[in-house]
Order: sequence, then C-alpha cells, then structure tokens
Amino acid sequence: MRDGDGIFFDGTTSARQLVSIELADELVRIRDADGMVLTEWLYADIEQKPAPQDVLRLGLRGQRTSARLEIRDPVLAAALDGRAQTVDRTGASDRRARLRISAWVVLATLSLVGIAVFVVPAVAGRLAPYVPASIERKLGDAANVQVRATLDTKKLGDRFTCGREAAEKSGRDALNALVARLSRSADLPTPIDVSVVRSNVPNAFALPGGHIYVFQGLLDKAESPDELAGVIAHEMGHVAHRDSMRSMLQGAGLSLLFGMLLGDFVGGGAVIVAGKTLIESTYSRAVESAADAYGVRLVAATGGDPQALGTILTRIDDKKYTGMHIWVDHPQAEDRARTIRNLALKSAGVTLLDADQWTALKHICAGS
Amino acid sequence: MSVPSVTGVVPRAARDNVSFLGADRDYWRLMLRGALLLMFTLGIYRFWLVTDMRRFQWSNTEVGGDSLEYTGTAFEILIGFLIAIALLVPIYSGFFFAALDLGPLGRIAGVLSFVLLAFLGQFAVYRARRYRLTRTVYRGIRFRQTGSAWRYAVCAMFWWVMIIVTLGLAFPVAQARLERFKMNNTYYGDLAGEFHGEARTLFWRGAPLWLLVVGPMIAGIAYGALRIDWGAAIAAATQDGDDVFARIEGASPGFGAGVVIAILGCIWAILAAMAVYPAFQALVLRWWLAGLRFGPVTTVSRVRTGQIYGIYMRLLGYSVLFSISAGIAGSLATGIYALLAPIMPPLLGEILVTAGLLVSYVVAALAYSTIYQVIVKLGFWRVGANSLELSGTAALDRVKAVGHPSSSIGEGLANALGVGGW
Repeated sequence: MRDGDGIFFDGTTSARQLVSIELADELVRIRDADGMVLTEWLYADIEQKPAPQDVLRLGLRGQRTSARLEIRDPVLAAALDGRAQTVDRTGASDRRARLRISAWVVLATLSLVGIAVFVVPAVAGRLAPYVPASIERKLGDAANVQVRATLDTKKLGDRFTCGREAAEKSGRDALNALVARLSRSADLPTPIDVSVVRSNVPNAFALPGGHIYVFQGLLDKAESPDELAGVIAHEMGHVAHRDSMRSMLQGAGLSLLFGMLLGDFVGGGAVIVAGKTLIESTYSRAVESAADAYGVRLVAATGGDPQALGTILTRIDDKKYTGMHIWVDHPQAEDRARTIRNLALKSAGVTLLDADQWTALKHICAGS
Repeated sequence: MSVPSVTGVVPRAARDNVSFLGADRDYWRLMLRGALLLMFTLGIYRFWLVTDMRRFQWSNTEVGGDSLEYTGTAFEILIGFLIAIALLVPIYSGFFFAALDLGPLGRIAGVLSFVLLAFLGQFAVYRARRYRLTRTVYRGIRFRQTGSAWRYAVCAMFWWVMIIVTLGLAFPVAQARLERFKMNNTYYGDLAGEFHGEARTLFWRGAPLWLLVVGPMIAGIAYGALRIDWGAAIAAATQDGDDVFARIEGASPGFGAGVVIAILGCIWAILAAMAVYPAFQALVLRWWLAGLRFGPVTTVSRVRTGQIYGIYMRLLGYSVLFSISAGIAGSLATGIYALLAPIMPPLLGEILVTAGLLVSYVVAALAYSTIYQVIVKLGFWRVGANSLELSGTAALDRVKAVGHPSSSIGEGLANALGVGGW
C-alpha cells in the first residue's frame, strides 16, 4: 500500500531520496523509487523536528545520526499526525508544553527572588561569625586604604587623622579613655581602633576588622561626652554584630543571584540595581536599629546617659526627608530617637569624661 | 503542496539558490512573546527565546531547496550556563581576594581580571560556534568544528589589540585571519570548509570609508597640536594658581583654537562613522559571504549597499513610532497618577512610582531591543541569505556524516560572559 510521497535523508549521506511512504498499523514504512524498503520507523519513536511552515519534518528519538523524513503533502501529514502521538502539526501540544515551561520558569524566578530577599541575608548572618578574624582584618585593611583615599579629599595623608600632633595629644588621650571605658563593658570579637578624621560631614561608620571613623563634623555637633559615646557605641554595635562582614557576604550573594542568573537581558541592569538596592536598604534599616539598641545598652552599662544618642541624632538630622523612604538605608532620625526613648533606659549619672577631658577631646583636631 | 513524484531531478535554479522564507509577522509574534516572558522571568527565559529564534532562522533558510534545522534545546544551554557559572565563581572570588591584597598583586588584579575575562570571552565565542554548528543539520547531516579554542582566543586577543593600535587599519587582516581559522576548522559532514576572502580586497574597499572617518580627525588633531607651543603651554600648566586655561592661552596663543579644531575633528569622526557604518557593514558582509567555501561549493553575494541602508531606515522608523506611542502612554500614566496622588497613602505612592519607572524603563529597553532584533538582525540574515548564489552544488549530494553533537558549556560560558559572536 502506498500512502504518499516524501523526501528522505538517511543520516549517513546527504543524498536526497524521493521516497514513497506507507502508513502501517504500528510503523511508517519508507521505500525508495524502486519499491525497496529503506527503513521502518515505529510511530512511538518518531519525533517532530523544527521545519518551515509547510513541511512536516520527522526524525527518530535518541539517535546520534540524524535521519530525516520530510512530508509536504498535507493529506499524508494529517494522516501521520493522527497515528503518531508525538507529532502535532497544529502546534497545540507545543503551545501547551511552552505554557508549562513558561509557568515553571516564572515560578523558578519567584523562588530565586525569594532566596534573594530571605535566604541570602539569613545565610550571610549565619556565616559572618565564622569568617576568621585574620580574613576580616585583611578585608578591613584593604577597605581602610580605599576609604581613606576617598574621604581624604584634601590629600592630607597621615594628618587626615586627628590626634597625631603634640597639640592634639590630650584630645587623643581623652578619646582613648572614652573608648577604653566603652570597650570594658562591650564584648567585642576584635580589638577596635577609633579615629577622628578631618572631614566636615557629620557622620561616623565602622569598617570590617574594627576600624571606626568619627568625622570632625560630628564631633563638632556633639554637646556632651555621652552623645559621642552613644555614637561610638552604635558603631561598636556594628562591630559586635559583624555587620560589615554580613553586608559584604550578602552583597556577594546578591551579585551572584542578580548579576549572573537573573537580569541578563536588555534593561535588566536597572532591575538588578533597583532590586539589590531595595533589598540592601531594607536590610540595612533593620541593622541600624539593632546597632542603635546595642549602643544604647552599652552606654547604659557604662553608667552614662543612654538617651544622648537619640538627642544627637535628631540634632544632626533636623530636616524632614521628603524623598522616597524605601530607597534610604538608614531609618529616619525621629523614628530612631523614638525607638531609643521607648527602650526607656535611664542614666546612672556616671560622668564618662570630666570637663577638662571633654574640652580636650573637642579640640582633638586643633592642630589643623 | 506535494512533491513531484517519480523524477529525482531538482531544477537548477533552485539548486543554486539560497533563500529566506520566514515571514516578519511570525518573528514579531515570537519576539514580542519572548520579551514579555523575559520581563516576568527577569531574564531566565532567554535560553528558550534564543532557541526559538535560532529554530526560526535556521528552519526558514533554504539552500538548494532544503531547509536548515537547528537541533539545539533550551535545556542544553541552561545546563551549559550553570556549569559555566560553577567554573566562573571561583575565578571571580579569586579576583575579589586578589584585589584585597595590599601588595603588587592587588594593584594588577584589575588589569589581570580584564585580560583574563576578555580571553575567556574569545574562548567562549569559539566554543559557542562549535555548539551551534554541531546543532545545525542539513539534509540529515551535521556541521562540525575542530581546532583549539585556546589557540583561537590567543589569536583573537592579538588581532583585537592590533586593530585598536592601528585605529582600525588592521581590521581586514584580522578579519581574514580569524575567519580563515574558523572556516578551515569547519566541516559539513566530510566536506571541509575554507575561507578565501583576501585581506587586501577588504582593505582597498574599506580604505575610502576609513579615510573619510579617521582622516579629518587625524588632520584636526595634528593641526591643533602643531598650533600649540607645547613648551610654553606645559610650563604655564605646571605653574600654581587658578585659571589654568587663561594662563596657557596667554603663554601659547592659539591653544584654544587648536583644541577646538582637534575636538571638531573628533566630532566629525563620530558623525561620519555613523553615516557610513551601513555601507561598511554591506561591504564586509559581501566580502565575507563571497569568501565562504565548502569543498567545491563556492558562493557569490549580491548584497546591495542600499539594502543595508534600507534596514537602518526601517529601524529608525520603527523606533520613532515606538518612542511617540511610549511618550503618549507615559504622559497618560503621569496624568492619572497626578489625579490619584492626593488620595493615596504615601507608601503606596512611593511603591507605585518606583514600580512604574522601573517597568517603563524595562519595557522601553526591551521594545528597542526587540525592534533591533527583528529589523536589523533578522534583516541582515534575510538580505545575506537571499543575496547568495552557489555553484558546484552537485557536491552537496554526496556528503558523508561525520562527528557528534558537542557539549554546550561553550555556549553557556558565552552567555555567562555576555559575548555573542558567530
């Protein structure tokens, strides 16, 4: 029985053979022009291959050679379609498969985003304490060089740090006394190194490995030793919680997730940056609140005024922020002050530094 | 449509012809659906999209009456990509820690990583080409590629440096050498590929364009440099004090004019490069297609420069059309937001504005990229294929199958490193 014509490539040579095709019960029988049987393909093994619109192209599943049978006769193609389950010329099963794949890929994406939001910060937090102190020191030293190079805009070099000149020595001693007092009550994983630097920005921050920078601009705004102690204690909170190590690990994890797996399409760059910034700033706001709580408790433990941190925060940031809050990595100063008040810790009335020491500390950058 | 039954003779015209049958409309549908899914999957869908695109392009390209077939699958590329990531992460971490080193290692880490990644990129380009060739089936037989990807990467790096150093003059030699490397290692079954394009031919055809672009720039810079009294200018520049430019101009009159002329030369170079770029692409395409050989099968390409300009005109038209409609949609959305803003809680407003800006940016970027893919990329494929005329095609009937599909790690690496290449 001859059901129709087709073109056959046997997969070993490129010869184009015009063949006659017989649709038997279980298989397709392919004969050459002389009526000799070339091969027989079981319907169950047949696979549909990509082809132009008016061609039905078939191959065999799981073969290393690529024999092909091409059918251009729509009647024959329809008959074959009816018999072989894997063949579907209408493309309906292809569309179903595609829909299923699309659904899975969307689900996979959602799960990866979930990993970025919940798992990466959690894993980073768990891993951070296990990073050896030597590596953290090394990271801190490298960051220290970079940070100094960025902040030291006037190229002061060693003079960038206050308290190195003879006139500043008493200020340095006072700072050391304050830091020693706080350190005694704190339980820190690494020794810390607090420096005041010549920059007018009212700010302070902690680097990995226990480097803490207090800017001259912030010292100028401090009205009591307890306020400064509050700020330093807040930064010591970051050191105690290993926050810089955590955020570094978290950044690496997010870069891997967003930078390599996700976001590799035109316009994806914006999605990466926005996603990373949103996750990091949300996380960072929580970290800042934790450091505030640590700082307040530490100052209370030394017997100083724990509420002073809230006071200096509101003084520095007295403007109401009008931009978008979801992008900001610090909570609002007034919110921070309120949270500190709510902790309701009282001063034990201990004088952290006497009046002479405080005056000396305020002039730690006098040599400039 | 039925096949002529008994006779096995295919008409000559069809035998020597290459043609592209795909309809733009089908490709638009495929690409727009792909863009949408790319957005919702943050790019993960790219493996499926690129597979669909290749299937469309290959299937619709007919050589001597039979169409090509792309047999690669999205899963293969995805697996290759994941393996490539597993290989790259240690390398990236290594560079991260090297950069922390305070010694000389830390200082050269940046340069070192750039060179290594560029090298790996070229390696991946070659391996990805192998993947695509072994996934190309024509008349039941695969293409394949031999040759060391490391050697290719070394050659490619060398020639790219030469192109930059010579301001593009080395481009024809580089192109001819690299293409020869690729094609001499390319086979269709047991039929060996070759590349016969001559660097000299490309050089003399491209020279007028190069002169038009780079000539005035060099002249401008040289003229500017000659007008400046360098000794006096440098002496003035190294003095202390404010307003360096006034001082230099005083010490070396004509300094300002010299700088302006040099800058004008550079602006000319940019504008001229944009204007003649399609003509340049047309002549490279013609030269490349005409240089391809498979055994006795030779090619001639009749790409007209006007066709390439036509493609870019269409690109411009579609982009303007999209920009206008995007502008209208954007103003409408802004208007609606302005009306609703007073009655919305501030946090909701923040989220809406953020999401709105982000989504519009992504939509716009994807739309321009889709337009580019459909109009330019597919346009080049179509024009290139339709322009081909083959001879010696009798040899295509007697090719024997050799070789197996290659691994997809190269394709995955190319994807992870963001290098395309063909």
